Amino acid sequence: MAKLSLSGVSKAYGATLALRRGDLDIEAGEVHVLLGSNGSGKSTLCKIVAGSVRPDKGEVLIDGRPVTISGPQAARALGIGIFYQELSLSEHRSVAENICLADLPGKSGIFVDRAALEARASRYIALFAGVAGEGFSAEALVGNLRADQRQLVEIMKALSSEAPVIIFDEPTSALDRAQVDRFFEILRQLKTEGRGIIFISHRMDEITAIGDRATVIRDGETIRTLKLSETDPAEMIRLMVGENSDLPSAEHELPAAGPSAGAPLLSVRNLSGKGFRDVSFDVLPGEILGFGGLHGQGQSAVLRALFGASSISGGSLELSGRSLAVANPRSAIRSGLAYVSGDRGRDGVIQGRPIVENAAPIHYLKERLLLARPSALRDKVLPALGALHTKFASLAHPIGSLSGGNQQKIVIARWLIERPEVLLLDDPTKGIDLAAKADLFNLIRQLAAEGMAILLYSSEDAELLGNANRILVFNGGAVTRELTGADRTRYNLYQAAYEAA
Amino acid sequence: MAETGSAKAPTPGGFKRLIERYPFLPALGILIILLALNGIFSPNSLSYRSLTGLVSTYLALIMLAIAQTYVIFAGDIDLSAGAVVSLVNVVIIVLMEKMGGGGLAVFAALGVGVLAGLVCGLINGIVVAGLRLQAIVATFATSIFFTGFALWVMPVAGTPAPALFWRTYGSKLLGLPFVFYIVAALAILLFVISRTRLALQLLSVGDDAQAAYQTGLPVTPIRIKGYLLCGLFSALAAFCVTGDTASGDPLVGGKMTLFSVAAVVLGGSALAGGWGTVVGSLLGALTIGLINSLVFFIGTPSEWQNFVQGLAILVVLMAGILVGRRARA
Repeated sequence: MAKLSLSGVSKAYGATLALRRGDLDIEAGEVHVLLGSNGSGKSTLCKIVAGSVRPDKGEVLIDGRPVTISGPQAARALGIGIFYQELSLSEHRSVAENICLADLPGKSGIFVDRAALEARASRYIALFAGVAGEGFSAEALVGNLRADQRQLVEIMKALSSEAPVIIFDEPTSALDRAQVDRFFEILRQLKTEGRGIIFISHRMDEITAIGDRATVIRDGETIRTLKLSETDPAEMIRLMVGENSDLPSAEHELPAAGPSAGAPLLSVRNLSGKGFRDVSFDVLPGEILGFGGLHGQGQSAVLRALFGASSISGGSLELSGRSLAVANPRSAIRSGLAYVSGDRGRDGVIQGRPIVENAAPIHYLKERLLLARPSALRDKVLPALGALHTKFASLAHPIGSLSGGNQQKIVIARWLIERPEVLLLDDPTKGIDLAAKADLFNLIRQLAAEGMAILLYSSEDAELLGNANRILVFNGGAVTRELTGADRTRYNLYQAAYEAA
Repeated sequence: MAETGSAKAPTPGGFKRLIERYPFLPALGILIILLALNGIFSPNSLSYRSLTGLVSTYLALIMLAIAQTYVIFAGDIDLSAGAVVSLVNVVIIVLMEKMGGGGLAVFAALGVGVLAGLVCGLINGIVVAGLRLQAIVATFATSIFFTGFALWVMPVAGTPAPALFWRTYGSKLLGLPFVFYIVAALAILLFVISRTRLALQLLSVGDDAQAAYQTGLPVTPIRIKGYLLCGLFSALAAFCVTGDTASGDPLVGGKMTLFSVAAVVLGGSALAGGWGTVVGSLLGALTIGLINSLVFFIGTPSEWQNFVQGLAILVVLMAGILVGRRARA
């Protein structure tokens, strides 16, 4: 009998279906790998099991009994522990306090039993003795630790649940070799104790090293469960990719225009900053350069740094042959860069203001306008909006009255009144409908054809394969592979994304 | 992601570690400087008698700052704390008067006062944590509500407290002022509370509420308990006010609310939650008291006292932040 089994579990956030149909069986004493590309629903599935996301439909069985997991507390009580990809630590608390936080050892009901807390925490800290690195101790504040050390604390916290089923959602992304080896030793020990383990990683070597079975998730559906001993990485990647995986994408959807030869418009050399290091590339005028790879491997960080929204610690930039220094977004805009983020709420839309005000701010900045006549502004804004087939009742309507796709069009239109030289697109189609996506990509190709250089990061691989002339695959903050011409296939993209950093 | 920063091992220097262990140290330093300044401008202000007076006057603010600290730990705030002080003040005065002002009446009234503070805390907790309204606005609204209730209990200020009550507050026991015994009892109480699971859970919730929820902590009950503690200490603050002023006033606590928030920040706690100490808030409240007395002792003309007082609080706040920033760098 399976320790944990899910059938037909689904979850939608508004109109987007994060998980269409999740089926999963976790046996006692196995490491069960979840495989899937960006946004395929792995993390949603994990969070449903851990109780931090409530499923819309479906059944969860623990040891054969149907259960309702009403929240993280209930999940713990049912014997489920979890390592969260985004970590669940209190920065100002000590390592020991974080490890025991979910179940603080008590004394006479209300007091914390410090001795028991230290003793329990030290058991888990001892598991990583020697590999945790300098400055790691029970008393150290988590906020003072390095990223890999924080990840170790989250691992210890998950282990301290002593739950029969433990989920590890990308526990190794910041760990070094020795730490991963130690962690795998611990996992093997847990297996012998008969615990069920769900494991997510984007490194194929780790998956084959520790996994017993793997379930492949594609577009929110669990496709198949297979034994890792009876398969190979190539097949797993084929399953993740789905049908037609061997066709080069260029054959079914060719980018409209290639880059015009000549001097690069933007050159980036050995750029380093928070979340990425040593990134170099050139973009030609008219080229669409794609950034690929799994989520959060440094793609957004590079784009934000180029736009001056986060700081650069090393490397150099050249725009049209001249050295470029971006101190902040304002200077980046003045030197001809434009940035559109998929996170419209945070980075794009000015909530509660009319459409015309949302379309004009860059115009104000570039023209150094203090005042503008509404009619003159209207003449500037309307052509830009028209180019994108934006649907709206009137310019005076609040931006909130539009759909996500049309809001994003307004945000893009604000850059089109005075054309930038380089357009930075940071997952621009997140959460917008298909028709709007098609309009957007038509426009992007048209802008490229007119000579603009475009950097496109998309979490949807199809968008990259269908639109980018070249794709740089990011892994662990660095560019690990460049795909051009006929190499731009889903297969190659996944393979590059999943290989060891 | 770690790669770029991994060369630098996280070994905080001695100063930083000291501040991390005792976040109230900057506040203590400032307090000592203020004491010294007070001593320079008016040597008499450091006399035993004056310090006793300072403590008995500012004990209420100390209590209220401590009350505020527990909600700020969890990343919340209570703008009704002062109104709760007013409400409890008039409730116990009216009760003591109605029941004759004897020893039994005083104790019964204090019991009801604590209960009233807890009820106010519970209301705030339910409104903020349960109904998920914005803490600042929601507790501002309840403060108006509590003030209205206080005005219904006692429409005009002036009813005196029974002599037994305020004489005890100002009395001496075994040669030591009564307020010092309160301070000692408070210290023990704070020590006990700091060892509870609740204190740790409040700080974790304030640190990152989402993380605390995902960890499996009952976030809403924890926040409500924070408001309950706040209500309890607000009631204790009201007792001190009543002992100090010896009368009932339905508006007495109103102006104390933001002073209590200021005291918490001066004491080194983070207004965003997750970081701080009650000892710091105690020192912060004393700092405000010392600033006020210093403004008086340097002979500031009365029309300039507010101006100088505000300026002094700003300067102290800046000094604290500069020290804290150096420690964090």
